[in-house]
Amino acid sequence: MRTAFLAEMGLLTGLAVAGCSSTAPEPQNMARTTMQTAPADLQLTCASAAATSAGVDANKVLPVGSSQLDATRYQVDLNASGQRYTCVVDNMGNVTSVQKAA
Amino acid sequence: MAGTARPRRRLGWVAFLFMAAGLGAALAQTGSTTQIFDPKTHKWINYDRKKARQYYAAHGQVPDAFRRQIVTFRTAEKPGTIIIDGNQHFLYLVLPGLKAVRYGIGVGRDGFGWAGIVRVGRMAEWPTWTPPAEMVARDPNAAKFAGGMPGGPDNPLGARALYLYQGDQDTIYRIHGTPEPWTIGLDVSSGCIRMNNDDIVDLHSQVQVGAKVVVLMQGAALYKGV
Repeated sequence: MRTAFLAEMGLLTGLAVAGCSSTAPEPQNMARTTMQTAPADLQLTCASAAATSAGVDANKVLPVGSSQLDATRYQVDLNASGQRYTCVVDNMGNVTSVQKAA
Repeated sequence: MAGTARPRRRLGWVAFLFMAAGLGAALAQTGSTTQIFDPKTHKWINYDRKKARQYYAAHGQVPDAFRRQIVTFRTAEKPGTIIIDGNQHFLYLVLPGLKAVRYGIGVGRDGFGWAGIVRVGRMAEWPTWTPPAEMVARDPNAAKFAGGMPGGPDNPLGARALYLYQGDQDTIYRIHGTPEPWTIGLDVSSGCIRMNNDDIVDLHSQVQVGAKVVVLMQGAALYKGV
């Protein structure tokens, strides 16, 4: 009985601590939209990589869509002078793949 | 006659359904909501026009995230380039050393969002606003200024305007100030990029005519310069 009570109290304390410690974003990150997109600089990193891969002027490559793949990676869809490319970039700015879309 | 009317009517319904499906898809692509984090409740809350106006009335400024600040920005674009993230409501002015000034912006509402690679064709201080013909036709308030509204604090273009060009052609889109600063962070315009007046003055002071402008907008209705 006492053991069960202590376990219950421990659980409640744990939940309270977890609730209190839920971290708020930094003030500069306290806005978002429900459409999750890759950060702008990472989209441009992909545009630069696709320009090299496609052999086109970087001024003719535009990111047209993006999504988060997992905690550290984003997929960016690009229009490179009319050709579609897909790029994967991590949140440190490392491009892991650039492929012409089928 | 009656024999031809029925297929036409059926075709009309088919066209209507396709249009409705297309419109639905377009809205699904672009329809997103701005949210801000409430530090009191630790919850993300929707930030619409009404909430934005209340916030501005209570604080005298927009939420922290939409205020001017220096951020890390890893890009190969030259300093002086402008990057607009229409989905997240930020405009970045690239600085040396992988940094940028980030400003909050208001952008085109559903169906008016666009993306592309353009340039600053010209700039103006306290610009004259001339409403487009279709706005004059539908809005009696705009009709009063069909010949142009002189620059000033009530002018919809605010304190400065950067006119965006594709090659040598005016796109009709501008980056400009606003007399409605609470609309920063929202999808409210007809395609122009709006900033509060302090921010557009700051941007105008740092930008050269000819600067490259990249406009990112997932689900854009229109593309310019690519």
